[in-house]
Amino acid sequence: MKRSAVLALFVSAVFLLLLTGATAQDTIKFGAIYDFAGGCHMYSESAITGIDMAVAEINAAGGVLGKKLEYVKRDTEAKTDVAVREVKDLILREKVNFLLGPCSSGTGLAMQVVHSENKVIRIAGLANTEAQTVDKFTPYIFQIVPNTYMEATANTRYLHKKFPKAKRFCTIGPDYEFGRREEAAFAEEIKKLVPDAEIVYEAWPKLGEKDFTAFITAIMAKKPDAVHGSLFGGDLVSFTKQALPYGFFQKIPFIALYDLPVLVALGADAPEGTLGFGRGCFFMDPNPKMMEFVEKYKKAYKGNYPDSWAVMAYESLFLFKAAAEKAKSIETEAIIKAMEGTNLDMLRGPFTVRPLDHMGTVPCYQGTIAKVPEYPFKIWKDLSRVPGDQVIRPEAEVREIWKKTGVQR
Amino acid sequence: MSFDVLFNQFMSGIARGALLFLVASGLSLTFGVLRVLNFAHGSLYMLGAFLSYSIWKYLLIPTFGFYVAAVLAALIMAGVGLIIELGLLRRLYARGWAEQLLATYAIILIITDLVKWGWGGAFLSIPRPEPFTGAVFMFDFPFPSYNFFIILLGAGLVVFLWWLVYRTRLGDIIRAAAHDREMVSALGIPIPWLFTSVFVLGAAIAGLSGAVTAPFGSVALGMDIEIIIECFAVVVIGGMGSLPGTLLGSFIVGQVYSFGIMFLPNLALAFIFLVMAVVLIIRPWGIFGRPER
Repeated sequence: MKRSAVLALFVSAVFLLLLTGATAQDTIKFGAIYDFAGGCHMYSESAITGIDMAVAEINAAGGVLGKKLEYVKRDTEAKTDVAVREVKDLILREKVNFLLGPCSSGTGLAMQVVHSENKVIRIAGLANTEAQTVDKFTPYIFQIVPNTYMEATANTRYLHKKFPKAKRFCTIGPDYEFGRREEAAFAEEIKKLVPDAEIVYEAWPKLGEKDFTAFITAIMAKKPDAVHGSLFGGDLVSFTKQALPYGFFQKIPFIALYDLPVLVALGADAPEGTLGFGRGCFFMDPNPKMMEFVEKYKKAYKGNYPDSWAVMAYESLFLFKAAAEKAKSIETEAIIKAMEGTNLDMLRGPFTVRPLDHMGTVPCYQGTIAKVPEYPFKIWKDLSRVPGDQVIRPEAEVREIWKKTGVQR
Repeated sequence: MSFDVLFNQFMSGIARGALLFLVASGLSLTFGVLRVLNFAHGSLYMLGAFLSYSIWKYLLIPTFGFYVAAVLAALIMAGVGLIIELGLLRRLYARGWAEQLLATYAIILIITDLVKWGWGGAFLSIPRPEPFTGAVFMFDFPFPSYNFFIILLGAGLVVFLWWLVYRTRLGDIIRAAAHDREMVSALGIPIPWLFTSVFVLGAAIAGLSGAVTAPFGSVALGMDIEIIIECFAVVVIGGMGSLPGTLLGSFIVGQVYSFGIMFLPNLALAFIFLVMAVVLIIRPWGIFGRPER
């Protein structure tokens, strides 16, 4: 290589360094890392819409501590190795201040090791395995989506309240981290509520299953009193459509993650009277702040309604803002200290970040599917909002688990 | 365990087998003649499903819109198949299997990105069309009539392919070409034309089978890979390129899966691959397949 070329390279490298150094001072950069593939694709897209709304609002009001927010979007392709590589790149090359994401519990656990080693925090507003804040806790993770334990405990209580005489249960959950954790928490809680409860059959379809017929006939053959499900998204749409002609929903009480995108996709096929659980969108919690958000969102996104995933991503950024303002700094250790015990009272109502395990006492929602004249899709009635502090795992139990998994705190 | 319970589980397996046959038959047919393992067959199936959704939505014909959409989706996929064969595959027949594998894998990536770009990540759904919305009763137990429709369609395809392969001149040529390509060519039959026709037919079948799954479950990204893995199991068990083999393979995989779910729900999928492994050990070319010369 010629000397002039080397010189030019060197000069441009220095220039680039100065440039990134300059931007780093008046902006706060974060990484939005989600899984734009398979069943997670849609949820990830929704989360990005919530992030865009929050960034625009926060920046319009002067940013965080006078600095504008900006973000870099990355895709894990729902693969753990890609997640690890992208998170490393976000931290080392993009030098992000913090991370939001992902959707999949699997990629979430994989990236947790990397960003914790590099002392960068991540706010999880979508992936909800309890392992993030309990089994594999590190101080660099904050979770403001009801975790699998909270969610399944709350929806098991709702199922029990609606069908108090049910004793023989079947379960159906997608065969991976999320489904296994939800059904384990169901089994734990139902034995507390109904001491002689019996789980007669467990169905574990793979994530992305298209044909549930054999699962449906196998469940119906057991004649259970009720079925606890942790199916979601496209899988739940397929299951519901295939179970309908069997008269499944007339015969068997059922609960699953019937949230907005599923009810929209099902349209008239959504089974009225069947139970749903979810993480907080307008028809689950129609409070004034939420409805105001819905109007803003509809204006920004061609009349579409925001789902829970947009709501939680939106709140994640306001949680960061609250912590930064409390700490008067965006330095990681200061943010961690400030975030512990921070209260946020926004779209889902008030919650606190529990200092011990960084788990937000966010609410869990349940309801019964019903048709209403106000919306072109079915929503819920008999709403139940369970505040997070009623279902969060007690601190003593968390410490017990930590003793086994080797978490020092 | 009573008879009707077992019978119902058997019928669930038949429906799943029929669905698998719809997709696997195109894969097997293409392989039998072209000797190219089309990894992207599942992607053609996925694109067919998304296309049928959009056409159905655009047409908005209340009762028969879906059937029109399914046929149109199959025709469009035939066109896509034509472009793929003329533009890409034709240049690869003389190359090794590794290059063919890479090329068809590239098609998977291209179609996945096309679908992401055109439809985003949402999961879509078409209501079941008349007259297959309800259920029929067998031994006092309901069976979804749309599943019957899929079984009938699968049976129809079996008859059509049997007629095509064993009762027409094109079929004679197809069987001859599968057996000895050089001899067919020496007889003055244009092999490139034959290959194009077979690939286009395979693509159309893939498109049609994608379309009929739209009212059955949901249409979403990832359905391509999900189906192709089970189709490989079907053709490996039945024998690559064999029509009766694909039929038997679909039946076996459907039943193993269905009863696996009932009796050993934790191992249902593993069982299929166990059967596949046993077949590979005893008869590496599949039950109805022929050993490679």
